[in-house]
Amino acid sequence: MATESDSKTSDGPLNRWASRSIRNPERTYRAMFYVAAIFFIVTTMFPFYWLIVLALTPNNEILNGIGLVPEGFNVYAFVEVFQQVPFHFYMLNSFILATVTTVIVLFIASFAGYVFGRLEFPGRGVLMLLILAISYFPPAAFVVPLFDIFTGNSPIVVPFTEIALFTPPRLINTPAAMVLPFSALFLPLSIFVLTTFYGQIPDGLEDAARVEGTTRIGALFRVIIPLSAPGVATAGVLTFISVYNEYFFSQIMALGNDYTQWSPLVGGILSYQTQYTTSFNLFAAASIIGVLPVAILVIVAQERIVSGLTAGALKE
Amino acid sequence: MSTDTAADRRRESGSGGALSGVTRWVENLGETAFAYLLLTPVFVILGAIAFYPLLRTLELSMFADPYTDPQFIGLENYVALFDGGLNGFLPGTTTFLPSSLSLTAILRSSLMVTLIFTAVTVLFETVIGLGQALVLDQDFRGRRWVRVAIIIPWAVPIVIQGMIFLLMFQPNIGFATPFLADLGIIEGTNTLNDPWSSLFIVMIADIWKTSAFMALLILAGLQSIDRSLYNVAKVAGASKWQQFKLITFPLVLPTIGVAILFRTVAAMRVYGVIDTTSKCEVVPSLSCMVVANLGINTEVAAVIAFVTAIIIAAVVSVIIYQQYREGF
Repeated sequence: MATESDSKTSDGPLNRWASRSIRNPERTYRAMFYVAAIFFIVTTMFPFYWLIVLALTPNNEILNGIGLVPEGFNVYAFVEVFQQVPFHFYMLNSFILATVTTVIVLFIASFAGYVFGRLEFPGRGVLMLLILAISYFPPAAFVVPLFDIFTGNSPIVVPFTEIALFTPPRLINTPAAMVLPFSALFLPLSIFVLTTFYGQIPDGLEDAARVEGTTRIGALFRVIIPLSAPGVATAGVLTFISVYNEYFFSQIMALGNDYTQWSPLVGGILSYQTQYTTSFNLFAAASIIGVLPVAILVIVAQERIVSGLTAGALKE
Repeated sequence: MSTDTAADRRRESGSGGALSGVTRWVENLGETAFAYLLLTPVFVILGAIAFYPLLRTLELSMFADPYTDPQFIGLENYVALFDGGLNGFLPGTTTFLPSSLSLTAILRSSLMVTLIFTAVTVLFETVIGLGQALVLDQDFRGRRWVRVAIIIPWAVPIVIQGMIFLLMFQPNIGFATPFLADLGIIEGTNTLNDPWSSLFIVMIADIWKTSAFMALLILAGLQSIDRSLYNVAKVAGASKWQQFKLITFPLVLPTIGVAILFRTVAAMRVYGVIDTTSKCEVVPSLSCMVVANLGINTEVAAVIAFVTAIIIAAVVSVIIYQQYREGF
């Protein structure tokens, strides 16, 4: 019967599929789900494929015009990246800045998370709102005075008076000019993540430690932080990725994209753009190398990232 | 405070005088004083890097020539910004407000470009993010890897995101430009110096990177929906579409609302992807205008920075109000 009706209509398989779908709508939803999933995977991953195509194709082939498949297999581009520009030093700078910021942020945010998560005191709600509010402001709202102060051109003045307090040393092109803004920028997220985690430790465990004779600070470091290790890891991973990915202060506070002056990944990538304007295969190879550390972190720590981002962002 | 003295005695026998003195002082503080003591580092760093610069930006924006020959002029810089008097300080042919209502003039206006960028990217990120969240909410084999594939763009450094889209749309090599130019969407030559084409590309780049973030926020909302509602719906014979329309969508809508406000604030700070893919003269965002005047015309940078902050503060107060109503 089925073959008979097929031969009568020209679009047989489609008809058959349509009639079966109408009888069983689950099939349609399943098909829609697969189409959507494949669409999202292709759109998110395709740009990385394009980087690989460009990195493997010799540059003269790229300039002659290139399709969607690599024309050649020039692994040498990944070596040349380091010869043209000392890209490893830029990445090292990024690692150092990200690690130092992460340590500072975790330390300060641990105190704040302990206070907001475990203590009841007047002003708690207002202070949390204040931190939340400041985390929404754009870096551009802070950068003007910071830039003038970090270049050593302007003293710190009490706002709306003419009382100059002191002129700090020239911090631009040093790690401090980046670590300070990074810490302020990414502190709120870690505070909210750690507040959630520290707040979940049962009071009894802290009390037990206190009866044993530990101080309040001692209990924080010996009981609460070790028990909240997953939360600390979450905050740490998020801060590290955020600093590694930051653009605004990374570019502004290291003048001249010079790795000897602490310019991070941003400066490394941009120096290909300014010095080797048409070495597209090197742009692509450098981008692949630069994205690898965070890609690995995402694969390893995806559960942490997902829970941390949602806990920190939707403070509910 | 008998437990405290026991602790103190152990401390004193263990370590030297000054440290134990400090420890005892900290231990004997009341809960409120102890809380504020532990919060000191947070407020020192936020005070120095956020609150102080914000106030100082407001002050600088009210001066003419604030460093060399400071003269207090009140709101004159703001008036000049809005009536076009400061347009000469902006890079290229950029203006602050559009000089006329033509598309060309609108794309030269840094305020309009920022608002267009924000509206378009947030709209598409919400729709795509919802789609991605619905996919990730299902149970299927390989879910872990699909989730990695969807999140990875979020973790790509902004400079590399910019480089990727430069390489896709660079008219000499990128495959995307001839294709889209044939459809008349973007310019086929000199694409990255054309205001509309560059804005288009920068928006695509942002949607690619940030939809995942939206997806994660919406996914959290989806997963907090009570699953038994779906069982009831199934028993009552509701189709999948009816379940979505009557259960999923209304229940996830508040989360989507918060996520939209959140992204709106973040989208208005756009800078890095413009600076890498195109140029600030071509796609003039507000942050771009601040950076262009940094250290050169401090009062111009300050006035634009503060106007940006005011716009964002307006959105932030809506967020705070919502959080407050839900009982923060």
